[in-house]
Amino acid sequence: MAKEMIAMLLAGGQGSRLYALTQKLAKPAVPFGGKYRIIDFPLSNCVNSGIDTVGILTQYQPLVLNEYIGNGQPWDLDRLYGGVHVLPPYQKASGSDWYKGTANAIYQNIPFISRYNPEYVIILSGDQICKQDYSDFLRFHKEKGAEFSVAVMEVPWEEASRFGLMVADENDRITEFQEKPKNPKSNLASMGIYIFNWDILKKYLEEDEADPNSENDFGNNIIPNLLKDGRKMYAYHFSSYWKDVGTISSLWEANMEVLDPEHSGINLFDENWKIYSRNSGMTGHKISAGAVVTNSMITDGCHISGGVKHSILYAGVKVEKGAVVEDAVVMGGTTIRSGAVVRHCIIAENVEIGENAVVGALPTETEKGVATVGSGVKIGAGATIGPKAMIDTDVKDGEERW
Amino acid sequence: MVNSNANALGIIFPNSYDALVPDLVDARLMASIPFASRYRLVDFIISSLANNGIDNISLVVRQNYHSLMDHLGSGREWDLVRKSGGLNIIPPYSDKNVSVYNGRIEALANILPFLKNQKEKYVILSDANLAVNFDFKAFINAHTESGADVTIAYQAAPIPEGLLTAPAVSNVLYYTLDLDDSRVKNIYINSKEAGIQNFGMNIYIMDRELLIDQISTAFVRGFRFFERDILTPQLNKLNIQGYKYDGYVARITDTKSYFDENMKLLDDVNLDALFSPNPIYTKIRDDNPTRYINGASAKNIMAADGCVIEGDVENSILFRGVKICKGAKVSNCVLMQDTVVEAGAELEYVITDKDVTISAGKELKGDKDFPVYIPKRKTV
Repeated sequence: MAKEMIAMLLAGGQGSRLYALTQKLAKPAVPFGGKYRIIDFPLSNCVNSGIDTVGILTQYQPLVLNEYIGNGQPWDLDRLYGGVHVLPPYQKASGSDWYKGTANAIYQNIPFISRYNPEYVIILSGDQICKQDYSDFLRFHKEKGAEFSVAVMEVPWEEASRFGLMVADENDRITEFQEKPKNPKSNLASMGIYIFNWDILKKYLEEDEADPNSENDFGNNIIPNLLKDGRKMYAYHFSSYWKDVGTISSLWEANMEVLDPEHSGINLFDENWKIYSRNSGMTGHKISAGAVVTNSMITDGCHISGGVKHSILYAGVKVEKGAVVEDAVVMGGTTIRSGAVVRHCIIAENVEIGENAVVGALPTETEKGVATVGSGVKIGAGATIGPKAMIDTDVKDGEERW
Repeated sequence: MVNSNANALGIIFPNSYDALVPDLVDARLMASIPFASRYRLVDFIISSLANNGIDNISLVVRQNYHSLMDHLGSGREWDLVRKSGGLNIIPPYSDKNVSVYNGRIEALANILPFLKNQKEKYVILSDANLAVNFDFKAFINAHTESGADVTIAYQAAPIPEGLLTAPAVSNVLYYTLDLDDSRVKNIYINSKEAGIQNFGMNIYIMDRELLIDQISTAFVRGFRFFERDILTPQLNKLNIQGYKYDGYVARITDTKSYFDENMKLLDDVNLDALFSPNPIYTKIRDDNPTRYINGASAKNIMAADGCVIEGDVENSILFRGVKICKGAKVSNCVLMQDTVVEAGAELEYVITDKDVTISAGKELKGDKDFPVYIPKRKTV
């Protein structure tokens, strides 16, 4: 029994620009939006689109991700035939290889894909926040009779040169690909989401592997090769919310956009397109009599006695009496002691912010930095963490870090 | 067998004491009454059993059990999907006509073939009207160390108002123990004694073989009630021990106690006592986190995920998916799943069941001693 389409999810990225947040976990495992991790988005999109077979390609710090995915049950991906499979690099009779590039990661798992003998393979990226119906993308791919399709977003022309751009004709057929060009001919940015006909994908992966000069990358090698051969390549326009959360500021911003679904376009409150996640299993959250909570999202296990304004708190966060949390992203299990002031920052999991400590500051004309505290860090009482700081070691009582 | 599993199986009677809360069990049974913002009563006893290595659990249901089956599913959330044992819901057996059991003896007689086929040495019997984080390992140890034939868990507590004033129907029986040291000398049925009693929790442990013998004998004689017809007549013959439980117990005996027991969890001391040392599991609904919109005010509440709060709410328990619209005022309420309080509505001392809508501008006030109850899916 062949599958019509299976998904391959690239989740090996280190996310080095998230530094303190990705010391011990891969970027797709970074918590997001109160009770999710980034990878919940592509996984939930798959299930909601009817895709029941997903290979997750991991490489960097896979422990948290592996444990989180488990048997895939929270996403309904525990299936007899198909389901979710974590695919790390492995040793073969002829030696072993790390994944050299995105294309090589898929190449090394050709045997996995072949087991399901799909007609189509969708390649997904594990570091984007986006709700997308992949079945609509597949419908487009089939209607166009395409061999390869790429999801594209219109971006402002002045930013176009930061992206890989697809130049397409009036029928959406791709005529040219420009990787971060100085003079963009198009403002259609590739989202890094591709649908291939499986026979085409296999052929080009094998040819690419045989080329010793290739970087084994989809953007740099596979797509140019397809173009060169005049393959039927189409650009699928996507216009809803999409965000690459590769930097501290974009991750912070995306979290804040979740707070404002009416304007930002990212609505997690959608019964028809649920985002699934592994549950914390904690009790309902509590707001004490003296607490003030406005314009915020709070989830299970939280205990709020202080002030929380325009912030997202993840499972099990404690905000003690007299503490102030504003414009902040505070991840699971973190405690903010009384009198501490936490503003415009990202605090990772299981952090302790000591009494009267100050972390981050509201942005000014000249300083818009998002202070970041890595997981498990203890910030001492009365310590000060500046708005540009990236903290991944304990900070002593009263110490200042900028 | 490695030490992770207890040598006991669990039997739960989810319909016990349904008659005490006729409103709440209109479309469900005692075990599936929503409690503590995101749980159902049965979650507590099942999680306690599972957390203590008892992974062969049967629920002998009597009636109105669709909501329970929907809630428990295959038992995955409690880690009870097992090749051997696991979670097992036993519906009334349909022979020529559907027979609904009366009392534990009939219920257990119906499952004797099942009991005979199990491997565990002990059987634990329990109702589902208590929210407890029960240490069953300690209970089993106490039973084996004392060499008792039957051990009964009890708490030192007064008899709740709801039981004292319960309608005199034959299936609402409760038990208090007269103890000599820890040996049970007498079991009183429906005592009206005031003050602290050795108040039975209806949690029992005994040897599986002994239970099979006793049930077989009692059933052919037409007996119904385990405590009245098996234990009480044999107090001298059987070594029946009392096991005092000092942990936190929330007991539902009427609508008011349902309200009060929810409210008590607003006190952190009580909440921590009920939810430690082990986690309590429940069905996952995949709600998004709860959203507090600008202008919302929340004081002293416990809320589950999926709520949207725009109005004022204080001293209340909100279950999953509750919406409190702008200008609405909610105080001292228990609002079950997906209740909507529309703009400007005011609620005080109200319990709303699932999917209730309070229309804009409506005012509903109950009393501390008599909370108003709005049935499932009603619009006020």
